Amino acid sequence: MSDATATLTPPAREAGIPKLSVDHLTVERTLANGERIVAARDVSFDIATGEFVCLLGPSGCGKTSILNVLAGLAPPSTGRALLDGAPIDGPGPDRAVLFQDPALFPWLSVRANVELALELIGVGGERRERAREALASVGLADVLDAQPHELSAGMRQRAALARALACEPSVVLGDEPFGVLDAQTRELLQNEVQRAWMGSGGRTTFLFITHNVREAVLLADRVLVMSARPGRLLEEFRIHAPRPRDLDDVLVGRVVSEIHSLMLRELEQRDA
Amino acid sequence: MPAARREPGRRSIPGMTDATEPAEPGLAEIDLTDEERVVLARVAEVLRRINFGTVVLVVQDGKVVQIEMAEKFRLR
Repeated sequence: MSDATATLTPPAREAGIPKLSVDHLTVERTLANGERIVAARDVSFDIATGEFVCLLGPSGCGKTSILNVLAGLAPPSTGRALLDGAPIDGPGPDRAVLFQDPALFPWLSVRANVELALELIGVGGERRERAREALASVGLADVLDAQPHELSAGMRQRAALARALACEPSVVLGDEPFGVLDAQTRELLQNEVQRAWMGSGGRTTFLFITHNVREAVLLADRVLVMSARPGRLLEEFRIHAPRPRDLDDVLVGRVVSEIHSLMLRELEQRDA
Repeated sequence: MPAARREPGRRSIPGMTDATEPAEPGLAEIDLTDEERVVLARVAEVLRRINFGTVVLVVQDGKVVQIEMAEKFRLR
């Protein structure tokens, strides 16, 4: 075997405190008519520093509810959610959240949106330069002074990604961040995220939720597959393949088809 | 034989011939190069680690350049 040969075996799991931890978490939600439903039931998992994990499941399985608890936007009903071993009791600048909607301020330029985020976390003089660098890194160097409405949906989501990364959070949480984008733009953004993760040198932990199997396998070190509501964890796939990955990679295709079958069986059982 | 979990690296590989036993006729005749031995040792190392999953060998210009794997764990 040549020197270039890489054996992609599991990295040794760091002993110690996980970056994020969900411990027997159950999340209930109240519907508009007052009815209480269990969104996710008794879910437990750990995420190590620098890991990229995707939580995958059908609509309504409680993925967003779990993410909201980790973002500090909602409390657990029972169980615990921990960041660096400490209970999460609210949002913080250490966790950036990417929503389906880029949530940019429409009256500010793209650059000013990023600068504002930096100002809020106390960055001083180098704000302007850091905003420019972050936007350039996602290919938006030419539209720094554009208003969000002047950009395409994909460019707006890129700006949101730049804003999140500019703040150098230790955790990036994504709630279907590419959900409304067309297929081509989605692929470009997936590549940007792969590059961002590779560029973080193992310092930044990513947790994305998605119902897109291909996206999960393309991006993640680990894919956690959930059942339909009330969401429980069904299976975990650990993927040891180099990045950037391609949807045509044999391993990616094989794991995608396996997860598809698993999710189909699960839905058939539920409907039977 | 029960599929008991053992320490990584200490497990035998189900479906593979034990080197201490006489190999099947055709197998013994394969003359491996040093390079092939290294590749197969790496593959064996991976196989000993996983219970369920997929292993992919990427070949370029007649050489294995990468061994990729995906492991599956049941959580329910």
